[in-house]
Amino acid sequence: MTIIQTENLSKHFNRGKLRALDGVSLQVGAARVFGLLGPNGAGKTTLVKLLLAILHQTSGTATLFGKPVSDYELRRRIGYLPENHRYPDFLKGGAVMDYFGRFAGVPKEQRQQRIPELLKLVGMEKWAATKIRKYSKGMMQRLGLAVAMINDPDLLLLDEPTDGVDPIGRKEIRDIILHLKQQGKTIFINSHLLSEVEMVCDEVAIMNKGKIVVQGPVAQLTSIGLSYRIETSALAESAKAKLSEKFARLDLQNGHLEVTVQDHAELNRLIDHFRESQTEIHAIVPQRRTLEESFFAAIKGATSGDFNEMTKSAVE
Amino acid sequence: MRFLAIIAYTLRESFAKKTFIAFFVVITITHLLFLFALNVDLVSGGMAAVQLFGKDVEQQIEIEKLRKIVIGIESGLALAMYGAGIFLAIFATASLVPNMLEKGSVDLLLSRPFARWQLLLGRYLGALSIVAINVAYLIGGAWLILSTKTGFWHTPFLASGVIIILVFGVLYAIMTFVGVTARNSGVSIIAAYLVIFFSPLLLVRDKIYALLSQKIYQWLLDGIYYMTPRTAELGNITRAVVAGETVASWTPLLQSLAVGAGFLMGAIYIFQKKDF
Repeated sequence: MTIIQTENLSKHFNRGKLRALDGVSLQVGAARVFGLLGPNGAGKTTLVKLLLAILHQTSGTATLFGKPVSDYELRRRIGYLPENHRYPDFLKGGAVMDYFGRFAGVPKEQRQQRIPELLKLVGMEKWAATKIRKYSKGMMQRLGLAVAMINDPDLLLLDEPTDGVDPIGRKEIRDIILHLKQQGKTIFINSHLLSEVEMVCDEVAIMNKGKIVVQGPVAQLTSIGLSYRIETSALAESAKAKLSEKFARLDLQNGHLEVTVQDHAELNRLIDHFRESQTEIHAIVPQRRTLEESFFAAIKGATSGDFNEMTKSAVE
Repeated sequence: MRFLAIIAYTLRESFAKKTFIAFFVVITITHLLFLFALNVDLVSGGMAAVQLFGKDVEQQIEIEKLRKIVIGIESGLALAMYGAGIFLAIFATASLVPNMLEKGSVDLLLSRPFARWQLLLGRYLGALSIVAINVAYLIGGAWLILSTKTGFWHTPFLASGVIIILVFGVLYAIMTFVGVTARNSGVSIIAAYLVIFFSPLLLVRDKIYALLSQKIYQWLLDGIYYMTPRTAELGNITRAVVAGETVASWTPLLQSLAVGAGFLMGAIYIFQKKDF
């Protein structure tokens, strides 16, 4: 089932002078963790706000659970953590959850059950009776995540969920996200923290200047084809020369080789060559680009097809 | 039920920000003034004397005189509380709509399963509830004290509370409109006080016509008169109702309510269309 779908979604401001979102089309399926990356001003928050009808689109369509985003009853199934959320500081943590649970239509009995459970889940159970004006940034973020989950949503929209949270808290939030995914929830994350996104997301889209530049599973985006790092015992110079003759896309580094092969058959021929020359193979490690490298490449204007081309030409 | 949740949330916010408490304290001080400082003993003394010696024709005339004194006092007080009550109510509620629309707050509310009109109308009714509770306390308490002190239970006095709440409702509709468009408490307050300030002048606009150079300015004044709440005339109506006088025309109230409804609908329309 498609949970989020947009078709040529655009949002312009200042009579078209500012194209915050420009023809964005994407799909997010159920029980997925989807990451949206991009530099400041790329349009990430604009997209999320359009999905929640906090902003009105200029053109294009957006649906959630197959229904137009303008249907406000959809939001019974949605939890949202905005980037700079402001809860009323005169309320205590538990009261914030109670009010927003009420707003979400959660019955009183369910709220009474879920509030202590969720506060414990986010590590805030001792702060339920404290006014939130005394909370730190990280505590507010944890509370925000708990509030976003109060109505047991099928879709969670999280804008910078680990902003201001310490490393232990970040790990806890990642664990919560993965746990929610196992429960069949769909999680849509905006984040600048590429390492965090890489750890939890199944699929990412990279935005720049209102457009999606590249989209796909994390594994695909970070893959640079059939490239391997091979660690062996010391190679004689003659052996090195022979290798270079036989396998063109091979880079001899200090103590290891980096090679790109056309297919697995070529990789196996290389392995056979080492065995024939009685060279010990210590490790064969598939090469990957980090998500950060993919991100920068995308922002510089590369498409997903160009990633592998760039890498091939670099090796040759 | 979610609609009621917005109203309850607004009341809670007002309470937490002490505006509700400040309103309550001022009203309580007013009551204490009535209780201890207001001298109506001659009235109660006169009433007691009449009752003790029975009611013949002369004594009926005395009762009637005393009644008029009490009504006079109450209608004057009603007019004073009309002005003071609305003055306080405007300050107590001006920030509610702009605060709701602040970045970070409005996102959280709009992401909930409300229609936007429910959110704004709930906020409006929450503000009205704050004022209604306080005005009920003001007028109800004053009525009890005055009636107990004078022995004369004049129920039309309570009607002044209803009119105060209605007039506030109209002014707050304008403040809500300004709050949605300008998102600024100060501008909302200015808008309300401009209406109150100019209302008496608009009432006597025919005396101003002579000062205006062109006919178009007369039409402009007439237009403003008919498109703004007639708070000055409503003050007079309040006094008249309490005094037991026949109200010549209820048109100012009906027209003001219509203006208020128009501004509220305009506010809801703009809120529906706005990006946040």
